Amino acid sequence: MIEVHHLTKRYGRVTAVDDVSFRVERGEILGFLGPNGAGKTTTMRILTGYMPATDGRATVAGYDIFDKPIDAKKRIGYLPETPPLYPDMTVREYLDFVARLKGVPSKEKKERVTSVMARTHVADMADRHCGKLSKGYRQRVGLAQAIIHNPEVLILDEPTAGLDPKQIIETRELIRGLGGDHTIVLSTHILPEVAQTCQRVVIINKGRVVAVDTPDNLTARLKGAETMYVQVDSGGADAAPVLSALPGVVRVAPSEQRGTLAGYEVESERGRDVRRELARSIVNRGWGLLELRPMRMSLEEVFLQVTTEEIPEETPTDPGAQGSMDPRTEGEVPVA
Amino acid sequence: MRNVLTLADKELRSYFSSPIAYVIIGLFALLFGYFYYAYLYIFIRSSAEMMQGGGRAPNINQQMIASVLQNSAVIILFVMPMITMRTYSEEKRSGTIELLLTSPVTDVQIILGKFFGAMGLYVAMLAVTVLYIAILFWFGNPEWRPIAAGYLGLLLMGGCFISVGLLISSLTKNQIVAGILTFTVFLMLWIINWIGESSGPTTREILNYLSITEHFNDFARGVIDTKHLIYYLSFITFGLFLTAKSVDSERWRG
Ligand SMILES: Nc1ncnc2c1ncn2[C@@H]1O[C@H](COP(=O)(O)OP(=O)(O)OP(=O)(O)O)[C@@H](O)[C@H]1O
Ligand SMILES: [Mg+2]
Repeated sequence: MIEVHHLTKRYGRVTAVDDVSFRVERGEILGFLGPNGAGKTTTMRILTGYMPATDGRATVAGYDIFDKPIDAKKRIGYLPETPPLYPDMTVREYLDFVARLKGVPSKEKKERVTSVMARTHVADMADRHCGKLSKGYRQRVGLAQAIIHNPEVLILDEPTAGLDPKQIIETRELIRGLGGDHTIVLSTHILPEVAQTCQRVVIINKGRVVAVDTPDNLTARLKGAETMYVQVDSGGADAAPVLSALPGVVRVAPSEQRGTLAGYEVESERGRDVRRELARSIVNRGWGLLELRPMRMSLEEVFLQVTTEEIPEETPTDPGAQGSMDPRTEGEVPVA
Repeated sequence: MRNVLTLADKELRSYFSSPIAYVIIGLFALLFGYFYYAYLYIFIRSSAEMMQGGGRAPNINQQMIASVLQNSAVIILFVMPMITMRTYSEEKRSGTIELLLTSPVTDVQIILGKFFGAMGLYVAMLAVTVLYIAILFWFGNPEWRPIAAGYLGLLLMGGCFISVGLLISSLTKNQIVAGILTFTVFLMLWIINWIGESSGPTTREILNYLSITEHFNDFARGVIDTKHLIYYLSFITFGLFLTAKSVDSERWRG
């Protein structure tokens, strides 16, 4: 549904997006994750036809965004980083205007406006001027305008920014509900949000894609060895030597101790499941096995790891490849 | 076409949903009213004198209406920057330009929407002054054709100002800067023929040609000359064309 090929965007000497490629399948919800200044907004602006790329291609809903912008834009709903509201219009007037602008037939317009206001919970503000709305309501009206023409593709730049916790949950539900019928790309800094709403994640850092996978795979894949958390009631004895003696166990680290209860992190060889042996040896000693679970790296840890990692091995040529300092842009054709 | 109408309608609404439209219309009506009154007074006095001397009554079209229209051209020059200054600047500042540029409309449609929106407000301004002129029909019998020609000239001249105003507004995020710049440029386009007076014949010819208000004089006298018609229409087209270029280059710069 969305295909991005080697997209590059330079602002003068700053490379905001650097050779980014990814695909989004029909009905999929893709999370766009990255620290501040990573290039998320820039990528989304290119995908929505707001600005052209310096290099590369992007197809949205089967139309090249550069060659067939009008056809592509008809099928895109876009929520920019700051909701594009006109302060002098009431919410209803505004949605009515956007509906006309996006080509909603006049017969369906009124009904669309009403249903979208209900879906995004802004109906109670329908006759309020957009300039007098709170941040959260602005965000909701922004979302309402994005879905008003029932587009195939939704591009949402930080859709839950500025919302209260209840609204965040409702908005995530709304987005999940829209997935399936709609193809969605959303950017966020909130990692649990990605785990909850998205089927796939693209992590981007300094304009480059550093990881693309499902949230589950990302958290599982990125740790070196398997780690288990075990909590035992050993009656005061130290269980660590016993556990580390087991075949396949690489390392045992005590994590906490409360009375006779002790917790350990047990690292095993990669690909080897030591849970059965762990359980058996603990129970055989007459200790109580209170907890045994695989420890996954949280998405936060994954995120920190991939975005603070040293330069990836594929590009060993340029140790200084950071934003504007990228030496490869030097001596090349200057870009306006 | 539908898109242009949608956008023009939005522009007009935004003028009238803030005090700006009423201030502009009121100001213009007031200043127009002043010139109207002044020239009517002069006209009545001079026609009374001429009648006393046994001569024919002077032509109200030539003696009064033409002068009023010529003076209103100057008022328009002062008022127009207030109409055009926020057209693009404000959209850029508030980020609503992102909505327009990602909607299924072309840049040209957006520009035309803004142009006709501003023209709509301008027509409303002129409509108020038509009432003043209508009073003359009540008491005398002026010819309507020269008046219509005068108003056509006003429309075209205003169109030129609007196209320049749009261009300047598209260059900056700050509507105050846009307003001041527009006003400066209008002033220059107006006084350019004064400079012409004191220079050689060729320079004068060129400078007079460039002066927007200079081309209005014939219209004010009730003459529709295709030369001026073409000048105004090409000026508007060129202004809108440059605006389109400016919007497009802004896109590339991001
Ligand atoms: N109009 C612009 N002119 C120059 N540089 C820009 C412009 N817009 C963005 N940049 C630069 O491009 C880079 C990427 O910015 P972008 O806004 O895409 O990041 P982001 O991932 O959306 O960040 P955030 O999480 O803070 O929203 C940044 O280094 C930024 O400074
Ligand atoms: Mg951003």
